Amino acid sequence: MNSGYYFRRRLRNRFFLSLSVVATAFGLSWLALILGTLLYEGFSSIDLGLFIQSTPPPGSMGGLLNAILGSLMMSSFAVLIGTPLGIFAGTYLAEYGRHTKLATVVRFVNDILLSAPSIVLGLFIYDVMVLTMGHFSAWAGGVALAVIVIPVVVRTTENMLLLIPNTLREAAVALGAPRSHVIQQVTWRAARAGIVTGVLLAIARISGETAPLLFTALNNQFFSLNPNAPMASLPVAIFQMAMSPYADWHRLAWSGALLITLAVLVLSITARVLEARTDRS
Amino acid sequence: MAENGAVKVAINGLSFYYGGFQALNNITLPLYRNKVTAFIGPSGCGKSTLLRVLNRIYELYPNQRAEGEVMLDGENMLSGKLDLNQLRAKVGMVFQKPTPFPMTIFDNIAFGLQLNKSVPRAALEGRAEHALRRAALWDEVKDKLNASGTSLSGGQQQRLCIARSVAIKPELILLDEPCSALDPISTAKIEELISELCEDYTITIVTHNMQQASRVSDYTAFMFLGEVIEFGETEKIFTTPSNKRTEDYITGRFG
Amino acid sequence: MVDLALSHDVTSPSSARLRSSYRNDRLFHRLTLGCAVVVVAMFVGIIWSLTAGAWPAIRAFGLPFLWTEAWNPVTEKFGALAPIYGTLVTSAIAMLFAVPIGIGIAIFLTELCPRPLRRPIGIAVELLAGIPSIIYGIWGLFVLAPVLQQSVMPRVIGTFAGIPVLSSLFAGPPYGIGIFTAGLILAIMTLPFISAITRDVFEAVPPVLKEAAYGLGATTWEVLWNVVLPYTRAGVVGGVMLALGRALGETMAVTFVIGNAHRIATSLLAPGTTISAAIANEFTEAIGDLYGPALIELGLILFLVTVVVLAVAQLMLHRLELRAGERP
Repeated sequence: MNSGYYFRRRLRNRFFLSLSVVATAFGLSWLALILGTLLYEGFSSIDLGLFIQSTPPPGSMGGLLNAILGSLMMSSFAVLIGTPLGIFAGTYLAEYGRHTKLATVVRFVNDILLSAPSIVLGLFIYDVMVLTMGHFSAWAGGVALAVIVIPVVVRTTENMLLLIPNTLREAAVALGAPRSHVIQQVTWRAARAGIVTGVLLAIARISGETAPLLFTALNNQFFSLNPNAPMASLPVAIFQMAMSPYADWHRLAWSGALLITLAVLVLSITARVLEARTDRS
Repeated sequence: MAENGAVKVAINGLSFYYGGFQALNNITLPLYRNKVTAFIGPSGCGKSTLLRVLNRIYELYPNQRAEGEVMLDGENMLSGKLDLNQLRAKVGMVFQKPTPFPMTIFDNIAFGLQLNKSVPRAALEGRAEHALRRAALWDEVKDKLNASGTSLSGGQQQRLCIARSVAIKPELILLDEPCSALDPISTAKIEELISELCEDYTITIVTHNMQQASRVSDYTAFMFLGEVIEFGETEKIFTTPSNKRTEDYITGRFG
Repeated sequence: MVDLALSHDVTSPSSARLRSSYRNDRLFHRLTLGCAVVVVAMFVGIIWSLTAGAWPAIRAFGLPFLWTEAWNPVTEKFGALAPIYGTLVTSAIAMLFAVPIGIGIAIFLTELCPRPLRRPIGIAVELLAGIPSIIYGIWGLFVLAPVLQQSVMPRVIGTFAGIPVLSSLFAGPPYGIGIFTAGLILAIMTLPFISAITRDVFEAVPPVLKEAAYGLGATTWEVLWNVVLPYTRAGVVGGVMLALGRALGETMAVTFVIGNAHRIATSLLAPGTTISAAIANEFTEAIGDLYGPALIELGLILFLVTVVVLAVAQLMLHRLELRAGERP
């Protein structure tokens, strides 16, 4: 064997593999840095007032109560309309229309919407709802978020349903059950955990979305639960406060950012745990 | 040969196509009432395809179609005028892999009974117990009817599937290699079941295990490349087959 | 014992029940079909409403809109060149950094990482891919930009000062924010995404294929370079294009640090703008007949570009799926 050549092969191997270690260390350390800063800056500004008071004018103390509630309201609304729509559409793709042309088109379009620029979705709802209604509103904000929820739920529902073996469906059909009954009573039940995981991931995704809310729910400095008027949300409040020149607003922005990140992490981890538990069973 | 009154299902000139490919060619054969008929043959001979025509489960998939007649008690099952769900409720099917529904044992049995809500709630428990007894599962699960169907062992799950099919009191029961995923002890229990069940039902079983066919069935059809090569009483087929190919298969020269 | 004569009660319900069960069955089918159609309707609706909203600007500026650098709300002269340039360059910078590092991380995870660490690090990478972009944005504004402005950029400008091409690419003054900073933030944001997708793609390689190569005495790198990467080529490219599609449309990570200047400078360190940053920063205050429509036209351009990129990405990822399903 040509030992000189072999030596060079091993060198090359070691070189490139060390590069990948360097890349991992490099990449992950940036991310660790960002999270570290977030935790430091965010935690140092968190106190009870954060959750009790609404966003203040610059120069005075305040909190993020209106923004937190606004985000909760609009996210709930988005999940309420987006989830059933997404589950039904995903059911169509997996159960009724599996090999039809319509399903191919829907899948293609859905995957594009999944990664489409969210600011464009905001413009769309601005045109359809805000202009029609004549004013900004939490309704419009919720619908804009729903437009983000739907593709996520469609994708995960379809994938989960496709994992269910056909023999389970056949066993139910063989008893004389009509298709809709089989889907609702057997297939959905079997895929239940996976579908819930998909919904959790969708919620995690919209928790941090800012762009779609910018021209739909706008922002509201004061405490308001009126869905028919502009409503504050955590991401938009953070945007406004971070872009400003005021230091106390910057502190609030960090705390808000920490809250959002914690929410997203909790939801994602819950989704993963659920997924792992179903894999095991 | 038995007389016509004892024929439960008469298959006449049945052909089956997967798209352009013909899987069954002009099959004609009788299934006798309250007897067990086995379909045997090498892989790809069409025995599972033939079984799946008998409850039209193939209609779930595009590009699969059947031509010909399958007369159940004188009515053509393949006719478009028949109510498909009602038809399927008359024919029970048990699959190769046990398929308990993701619900409690009791709900698994009750599923078929509650479909048209024609069985009153009060009678459900009685019917479930009866079905589980017929499937020789009652003693093992009577204390845990609320446990999940998937918590049972493989052999128990398969008996649950049998109980599920029996609960709706079908006229014909189709078994598609019901024991191939089970251990020998569970297999023996199910074979025992089959001989008991045929007192009340007409049974058709697909199996690649020839010894099982000879143990369990009264009539056997040997199939090859989509055709019925030979059909007759099991004892005759296995001891003095008329067709050379049948003999070759049975003695293990091929397949 | 209950008297259980062999009556076939399940198979003969009343005809009213039959009819209602059929009606429900059809209703359910139509419901799912309707919702599937809604998805397509949303897509068509987006294109429609964007075109309608942008129409006044389309009519006023025509095709030259795409290569005009002007942006004057007072005289109502608008051109998309600066935002388009900014979008393309920031995304290019992002891909330049994120692709090799992201693939490097994927290689580490699939080949080198000690087994017990594989799941935790893999999960950590996926969680990082889910962190909202606004977090990266404010971090960029409050932490990265000042550091770049005070320490890094002056040094870079000084280093490249005499060299012909590079001195104009990296010319001062050191603002700290600008196209390069935005590209950097975008890179950090996109990198977990690329890692996650590439790792999934690598794991789809049938083990027998790799074993066959190892069995011939190939080193790990040789297996990766000669077997895994060619096999997953379509998937890796698809994953990168998916990341690119997302980077192009990214708003919040970029808006904070791009500087909001509607002009194209030769220096990468100068401020600029991207399509999404322009829309985010200016839309709510856009008055006048053409200002709003011009911004909407920018949005339309962005949407169409990302649709094309994402469509190509999908086709490539599909090809990998088909390949994986083939029997060798």
